Amino acid sequence: MRVDVSGLTVRYGDVTAVDDMSFSLSGNKIYGLLGRNGSGKTSLMSTLAGYRRPIGSVQLDGEPVFENAGAMRNVCLVRHTPDAADKGDKVAEALNFGKAWRDTWDDTYAHELVELFKIPLRTKVGELSLGQRSALGVVIGLASRSPLTMLDESHLGMDTPTRYAFYDTLLNDFMAHPRTIIISTHLIEELASLLEEVVIIDSGRLVLQEEADVLRSRGTEVTGSASDVDEFTAGLTVLGSKSLGRTKAAMVYGTLDDSQLIRARQLGLELGPIALQDLFVHLTEPVGGKR
Amino acid sequence: MKIFRQVTASLVAFSTIVAACVFAFVVVVTFVVSAFRGVEISAWNIVTSQIARWYLLWAGVYVIHNLLPIAVAHGRTRREFLVATSGFSVVLALAMTLVAWLGFLAEGGIYTLMDWRADEHGTPLAYFLMFLVWCTVGMFCAAAFDRFGAGGIFSVPLGLALVIVTTVRIPGSGNLPFIRNIPSLLGSGWHVMSVAAFLIALAGTWAIARDMPIRLRTS
Amino acid sequence: MFDDRSPIYRQIADRIKADVLNGALKADEQVMSTNQYAAYYRINPATAAKAFQQLVDERVLYKKRGIGMFVSTQARDMLRAQGRETFFGEVVDPMVAEARAIGIPLADVIRRIEQHENGDV
Repeated sequence: MRVDVSGLTVRYGDVTAVDDMSFSLSGNKIYGLLGRNGSGKTSLMSTLAGYRRPIGSVQLDGEPVFENAGAMRNVCLVRHTPDAADKGDKVAEALNFGKAWRDTWDDTYAHELVELFKIPLRTKVGELSLGQRSALGVVIGLASRSPLTMLDESHLGMDTPTRYAFYDTLLNDFMAHPRTIIISTHLIEELASLLEEVVIIDSGRLVLQEEADVLRSRGTEVTGSASDVDEFTAGLTVLGSKSLGRTKAAMVYGTLDDSQLIRARQLGLELGPIALQDLFVHLTEPVGGKR
Repeated sequence: MKIFRQVTASLVAFSTIVAACVFAFVVVVTFVVSAFRGVEISAWNIVTSQIARWYLLWAGVYVIHNLLPIAVAHGRTRREFLVATSGFSVVLALAMTLVAWLGFLAEGGIYTLMDWRADEHGTPLAYFLMFLVWCTVGMFCAAAFDRFGAGGIFSVPLGLALVIVTTVRIPGSGNLPFIRNIPSLLGSGWHVMSVAAFLIALAGTWAIARDMPIRLRTS
Repeated sequence: MFDDRSPIYRQIADRIKADVLNGALKADEQVMSTNQYAAYYRINPATAAKAFQQLVDERVLYKKRGIGMFVSTQARDMLRAQGRETFFGEVVDPMVAEARAIGIPLADVIRRIEQHENGDV
């Protein structure tokens, strides 16, 4: 499912959560929506799911989504406290709403997943542990089999084995039923290999949208003597640097051309790749530091 | 249609079971009371004219506060949901009126058998309209609180005015302040006022919930 | 599973090449599907597909429409030839540099290699 966002703004009173954002997703991929806390991820996804009226335009396959029954049918957003699971309802009852109200719902699959994640059916949603509630969100999200499925911080409270079960399930279901999946997460390192494309937002604005593999090859860590590194990186986009004695390492963003590679070798500089997570940290505003 | 069917089927069935339990309970209570003193009022009348309306109010609140976010989260529009639940409120009020009436019939039988005295109760139409308005006022106030937070408090005076209108035709649920005479002058014509109250509550619900954002559930 | 420090598809391609070189994958043998690779390595299927495409471009693999990917007949010889080209530059030279850095005389290194040749190690 194709997603087109244009001039999207979300405001809560005086706070601007999403600020004039525009981008398009071609669809049928797993997208990573990365951003720091309060960067506007949840607000953005909420408008994509028709949870709130957008200022600007949000279109799914060319159709505006807000209060449009045809487009709404194809969307499922699971926020970290699942909206489709009322705290007072038992898990089984929460799943029944999906079965009753969603045309694309796969109830057999939902129950397989409940068993996989060991979620007790007879327990009230409000009495589940945080990890179990997150897992229930994943069940609702995946069993919905929506052409656009969004999972917002779905890993919260899950222990490591559960998170890995989640990644495997997500991947296998995506391969069996290809659709557009958007995942927001803080655990970039763990999830990075699952993502085909990455959208990074910060302070309600789009920072970049790029294929994950391309992005990974964009960052280079240049290590060597401080003066050489400074000479080499002059005029390049330097995301950050650190020094140890006379040695300096600088993170450069952008593809290096052949003449630059040759120059680096002449200066005896070491060039290494940067992990997606490190790139993300440096592309978004650092905590208590300057950009 | 899916929403209407699901909500109606589950909540009407639930409400009927609750009502049946309450009926059994009041019958037991009545028998217990009869051991100490003579029975002079209908216990079921207290339930239907005093307590049931609060249940209907709760049902209205539940529908908007709890079910609306689930519907939107499952890819339904607010419009679809409001169409379904507007219809639901009528069906629930009808069903509860029917249950109330069956209760009166059953209770009447018991009272005759035991030679107890029952007081006067309202007409089915009066009950139906009372239930209907209380339910939709619940929807209206829930929508206002969900949408405006504490500002929803401003919906309460209007809600109160709307529900009071309906109690006029129900004996034993109190008279209106200041305008005691008008309702009795109008007689059954007063029901028109109840219908108007229903329409106002419903229109208010639609106006507020039609494009209401779905907020994060707090955990 | 992956160090996340170079494009994953290149790491996958390198692993398949290594399997061809060490004989784990034989000529005209079918390799696993992109989805199987994706599930096994927990990576996006598009990434696996990209690795396969690279190997097809390098003529290590060939595609049979509707069936899958196979190791090409000349793949092993080709990879061995490529390996021989880069062997001294990528393996021997760094080894010599390392030996010098830690103070092992090259004569000792040569003696060790001779022992390998005589089957003494």
